[in-house]
Amino acid sequence: MVTDVGHAQRVITRTRDSETSGGVLTEIGLVTWRSLVKLTRTPVLLFFSLFMPLIWLVMFSQTFGTVFSSATSGGLPGGGSPTPLPYDYVAVLLPGITVMTAIQSASQSGFAMVSDLESGFMDKFFVAPIRRSSVLAGKLLADGLRMAAQAGIILGIAALLTLAGWRIPFATGVFGAVLIMFLAAAFGVAFSGLSNTVALRTKNTESTMMVSFSLTFPLLFLSTAMLPKALLPSWVQSFSTVNPVSYMADAARALILTGYDWTALGNAIIAIAAFGIILNGLAVMAFRAQGK
Amino acid sequence: MSEAVTPRPDSKKKAVPARSSKGSLIDVRHLVKVYAGGGQEEVKAVNDVSFSVSEGEFFGFLGPNGAGKTTVIRIITTLLPKTSGSIRVAGMDVERDGAQIRRIIGYTGQSIGVDGELTGRENLWLIGRLYHMPKSLVKERVEELLEVLQLKDAADRRAYTYSGGMRRRLDLGAGLVHHPRILFLDEPTTGLDPQTRNAVWEYLRRLHREEKMTIFLTTQYMEEADQLCQRIAIIDQGKIVAEGSPTELKAAIGADIITVRITRDEAFEKSRDRALEIARMVPGVSRATIFDEGVSAHTADGGATLLEVLRRLDTEKVPVHQVALAHPTLDEVFLQHTGRQMRVEEVKPMSRGFGRRRR
Ligand SMILES: Nc1ncnc2c1ncn2[C@@H]1O[C@H](COP(=O)(O)OP(=O)(O)OP(=O)(O)O)[C@@H](O)[C@H]1O
Ligand SMILES: [Mg+2]
Repeated sequence: MVTDVGHAQRVITRTRDSETSGGVLTEIGLVTWRSLVKLTRTPVLLFFSLFMPLIWLVMFSQTFGTVFSSATSGGLPGGGSPTPLPYDYVAVLLPGITVMTAIQSASQSGFAMVSDLESGFMDKFFVAPIRRSSVLAGKLLADGLRMAAQAGIILGIAALLTLAGWRIPFATGVFGAVLIMFLAAAFGVAFSGLSNTVALRTKNTESTMMVSFSLTFPLLFLSTAMLPKALLPSWVQSFSTVNPVSYMADAARALILTGYDWTALGNAIIAIAAFGIILNGLAVMAFRAQGK
Repeated sequence: MSEAVTPRPDSKKKAVPARSSKGSLIDVRHLVKVYAGGGQEEVKAVNDVSFSVSEGEFFGFLGPNGAGKTTVIRIITTLLPKTSGSIRVAGMDVERDGAQIRRIIGYTGQSIGVDGELTGRENLWLIGRLYHMPKSLVKERVEELLEVLQLKDAADRRAYTYSGGMRRRLDLGAGLVHHPRILFLDEPTTGLDPQTRNAVWEYLRRLHREEKMTIFLTTQYMEEADQLCQRIAIIDQGKIVAEGSPTELKAAIGADIITVRITRDEAFEKSRDRALEIARMVPGVSRATIFDEGVSAHTADGGATLLEVLRRLDTEKVPVHQVALAHPTLDEVFLQHTGRQMRVEEVKPMSRGFGRRRR
């Protein structure tokens, strides 16, 4: 530890003069890079965040599949066509699983925040001459990329399943699939505001987990994510109309089953934007209040 | 909570002149911090603290657990808002010009904030880039720091595999990547073995000497403050109780100090009071005070006075557990100003046992 510091002297001036290079995008990019590197270096996390959704897909399509097909053998109740459906339950479920995955990733979003606050790493960000908002934005961008990748993998596997004879229409093809990935990521990012708010306010992993967990499942099952609206009990139907998860699921489902449903897409985007602004607004406030 | 800050008359505050210091790099005036406590009681962690640090100075904050060191350092480094008072760093106001201040300071916190999933090299690189240094310069600087901090061999290992000492060093490096003008260190050697601590000390001295860096350090170790700092403020329970160079502080106490520890039995308090009376009556004792384990007495001629004190204690049958004679160290300075020992739980090297006295 007693080597040449003199050399340092020579670069000091240069270092201090160069403080203005790189803008806000560099800042966000660095935070995103760090989050993604951490993710890829935690193989267990990576494995579960990518393969859990597939397990859900198989599990739910097996358990609910027969119920669904007997309930819809004469077409959807209230639906126009009396003929049997031209697709399997898995096609109905697929968009729901992408939403579910995004929500689950979103509910874990706050964990990293808690651990950075606890370890003192967050201070490194706060004491650096960067905008606080870059830290949050970079993290959300990393989360969004992860959620899009998850949705992409689920859709890719589903595409392979069609080769095995599963009937999934993919009505809007590759472009629709990309749109679903984008929607899932946006939806997930919107929802991670909740987990981040709780994390920043409580600074406690257990509380973050409990709050996220106790909201995630009701939101999923009291929505049209698992079953089309027509098959839900009437009180669940009424709840599902105020549940943003339904709008997201309906839009994605239309892209798989029938085609571009602009009303559904518009509703989904409005729902995502509204919840995203509210929840992430709360997260930003909690983030600003750090250390106060 | 906003409380009117008036300089409170306090006998111990005489060492803190509220001089206005134009040329100082860090200038803290009447700083108060009250933690809201979230439903619990409010905590007044910093209670009217004023001090200043001039350019190129090595300044230390010395105080026990909970004294308020971290609170002060976090407020100056813009990590925590103050309750009241004024703080200027390089002439800039912490609240208004936080962004500019952050460019010229480096901070290494008390908890080691390195990212365990990143390698040592990546940790430093990330910090350098966050300071908007160009890539080529960051690369050069990171290699240099890895070399200096002796982390070259472990540079490509993830930081969670590092030992505590390696992590401390890496964290120190993270505060230095951008060549700060002022370096803030919150207990930088806590948990290090003596060898590593010495190496860190040596490095800090070099930074101070060769890079002309202004360093603000907090510590619980008297020895550390004594070894490194040109000027020290002793902080206790949110107040600065003494300030000056180590030499000044020690000189203020007087020549020798006799420490008598009383046996801990049911009559401990009574025995201690008795010992205090006795010590005060011994000729040559300039001042005697009690502390949590016994009595300490200041005297010009330690050897002769000690014998007399012991003789009288023995006659009065005061149960003496241990006796020590020492030249003043910062431990005594602390004891003197707070009436408590710095770290009671530690076996203190303060008492070079009677009989092994070096003089
Ligand atoms: N976030 C907080 N909320 C409430 N009280 C706090 C908070 N942080 C610190 N305190 C209190 O403020 C006082 C000063 O704490 P601080 O961390 O500044 O002490 P310190 O001198 O750094 O101690 P140590 O040597 O243990 O690090 C303590 O009484 C502590 O309990
Ligand atoms: Mg502290």
